[in-house]
Amino acid sequence: MLRLVKAESFKLSKKLKSWLGPLLIMVLVLIAFPLSIDISQFDLDKFYFSIIVVSLLMTSFVATEGMFEEDFEDGSLEQEFLIEKDFYKLVLSKIFVYVCLIGIPIAFIGALFSFANGVAIGSFASVFLLLSLSNLLLFNLFAFGNALSINKGAMLGVLSSLPLALPVIILLGTAVRSIQFGDDFEAIITLMTGIGLLMSAIMPLIISAALKTHID
Amino acid sequence: MKLLSAQNITYSINENKLFHNLSFDINSGEGLHIKGGNGSGKSTLLRIILGITSPSKGFVKTHAQDLNMSYLGHKNAIKNYLTPLENLELLFNDAELKIAFEWLRKFGLFDLQDELTASLSYGQQKKLALIRVLARSSDLIILDEPLVGLDQATADQLTSFLIHKLSEGVSLILTSHINPMIDCRVLDIGANGA
Repeated sequence: MLRLVKAESFKLSKKLKSWLGPLLIMVLVLIAFPLSIDISQFDLDKFYFSIIVVSLLMTSFVATEGMFEEDFEDGSLEQEFLIEKDFYKLVLSKIFVYVCLIGIPIAFIGALFSFANGVAIGSFASVFLLLSLSNLLLFNLFAFGNALSINKGAMLGVLSSLPLALPVIILLGTAVRSIQFGDDFEAIITLMTGIGLLMSAIMPLIISAALKTHID
Repeated sequence: MKLLSAQNITYSINENKLFHNLSFDINSGEGLHIKGGNGSGKSTLLRIILGITSPSKGFVKTHAQDLNMSYLGHKNAIKNYLTPLENLELLFNDAELKIAFEWLRKFGLFDLQDELTASLSYGQQKKLALIRVLARSSDLIILDEPLVGLDQATADQLTSFLIHKLSEGVSLILTSHINPMIDCRVLDIGANGA
């Protein structure tokens, strides 16, 4: 498992476009949006977090686009299957590495921008935690979509899994509302953590089966 | 010692049978050369032996526990955006890396170890991919058209290596249109759709 995590981290760190691209898109959207509207007419802080949520969705979508495609194309998946006999550990490692190297920095940028724009939604830590958990859920879902249509252009599968991401967005929105109105949001964070852990354990099984079908 | 047995292997794509009722055994130190025309299912048969592809009928049984197999198919499984050295570091532990470096030297790739793999020629990339098999100890080596794209010197080095491995008790299964000059049993699966 450690071998896979090290290998995947190394490979992703060498693919500048794959990890830097989503981060730059996130920054670009979050900077460009306030510039593109007449702020004096709007209370930016009231809806800026919605923009962060949409950016999060978009960047997770872009980040996971090529998650398995390259390994499928160059035969690495077959080699991995010979070593491990399934893809569970590989998928688990990939999602972990993608969340750590792309998801968490995106969450950090989102939290940073929300505070830079004066969005009154609790502490930096709680926003960062919320966005990180959302990314964990989104990366798992989009990885599944990616694995579904790996031989037909992975973007198609990611698109098809987009509806599955809507409950995550609803949860995130509910959490943000709770924080803004001073309600108890720990329950939602606990719920998201639970779903995240469950998904992280089960989704690699499903993705592994989908990948096996593709190399068969 | 018997390593694996294939019993009545049949593989069909839709209604088209690629091969039908193939049965064979592989013993330690034995070579099997799978012959057949284009599209006859040689690569598919290798993938069935490896457990990657499921046969339509029949089964492959491995007799050794934790049978250690090395495989190189049509896809090289190397990363173009990494250097040859980085590719090898991803694959091997320190002991295997030493052997891999020897092969880099033998294949004339040592001076190119820090270049991007994408800038290497097809033959050089194939050599790099072959090191995956050559530097790792295994009970069974499975190669799909290993001589394609190699110059004569490299093909000779590979052949010598495989002969040496056979003498050490490692088994070998390969497909090749070129006579591999290795003492192997031949399994001819026909032109196509036998």
